[in-house]
Amino acid sequence: MIDSILLVDDEDLFHLVFEDACSILDITLALQALNSSDEADRLFKNWFVEGPVEERPECVFVDLNIIGSSFDGIELIRKINHEYGNGVVIGIISSSDDYQEIQKAKSVGAQFWIIKSDEIEPRLIDFRKDYEGYKAKTLPFKVYR
Amino acid sequence: MISFPADTENELMELYKKKKIALEGNILKVVDTSNPDFRKYIEELKGKDVEQRRKRLTITKQIQDQNKDLTSAKEANESLMSDLQEALAESKKAKAEAEKIRDLAVEDLDTLQKRTQFELIGMIVKIALGVIIGVGILTTVIYGLAIISDKDTQIIGSTWSNMFGILLTNAFSIIGTIMGVKYASSDKKE
Repeated sequence: MIDSILLVDDEDLFHLVFEDACSILDITLALQALNSSDEADRLFKNWFVEGPVEERPECVFVDLNIIGSSFDGIELIRKINHEYGNGVVIGIISSSDDYQEIQKAKSVGAQFWIIKSDEIEPRLIDFRKDYEGYKAKTLPFKVYR
Repeated sequence: MISFPADTENELMELYKKKKIALEGNILKVVDTSNPDFRKYIEELKGKDVEQRRKRLTITKQIQDQNKDLTSAKEANESLMSDLQEALAESKKAKAEAEKIRDLAVEDLDTLQKRTQFELIGMIVKIALGVIIGVGILTTVIYGLAIISDKDTQIIGSTWSNMFGILLTNAFSIIGTIMGVKYASSDKKE
């Protein structure tokens, strides 16, 4: 089970869906959800550069287009991986399956891409099976369709 | 994992039994115990938690679907409104063009009618001038023949004189008419 997950997504309803699905599937013990990539960026800066590292999440799910934020999910992943130390399992969770965006996410160090749909649970079950591989950085980038 | 002292476990179970107040959420997943009753209590609460989350997940998904439907309906409505506005603009444009064509057609018809009228007037004027000139020449020839053949010219002379006066008056009247028509037609062109 993952100790803590951070979800960055502008859709509040999805926070509830994701939290309940993760709890039912025993994926995580703690889940923090944010609406803005700016807020996530500020927290990561604090966790990785200025503050104690033990507070940081173990795994991060980022939406692709985060309405109301200064930058999108791919840019947030780039910042986390290249500016704040690349210390978490990180990937995109989005309703988009645009090939170019997927390649961009991969190029900035995203480890997975989960496609959001009405039935998110089967993809989360698959993700849970692969999680240790992502944590050990032995598993290649994967798209969960 | 965390574990509670035996008396705390008993108190928690009593609280649940009497007042239905219980532990809930993810803390249930990290509680460890050797007490079979407390384990049963934890498992029951875990089951309730999963059941509640399933219910909430179903409802949240339904709301998400409804939101998606509403968003799609809103987009379709906006697209329809946009199409309607475009159609209205096209219709106004077409109406303006049709009115313009109608005005041009009315103007052309008016011009055609006037032109026909002018042509008719021109023809009448030409015939009238022909008649005037013909009568003038004929009267002059008769008057001349009467003078040459030394006949009485009193009647024909006064007739010629009167006729010429009338003819000149009519000729000026006709010239005036021609000038008027020309003036009117040149005004129209401007």
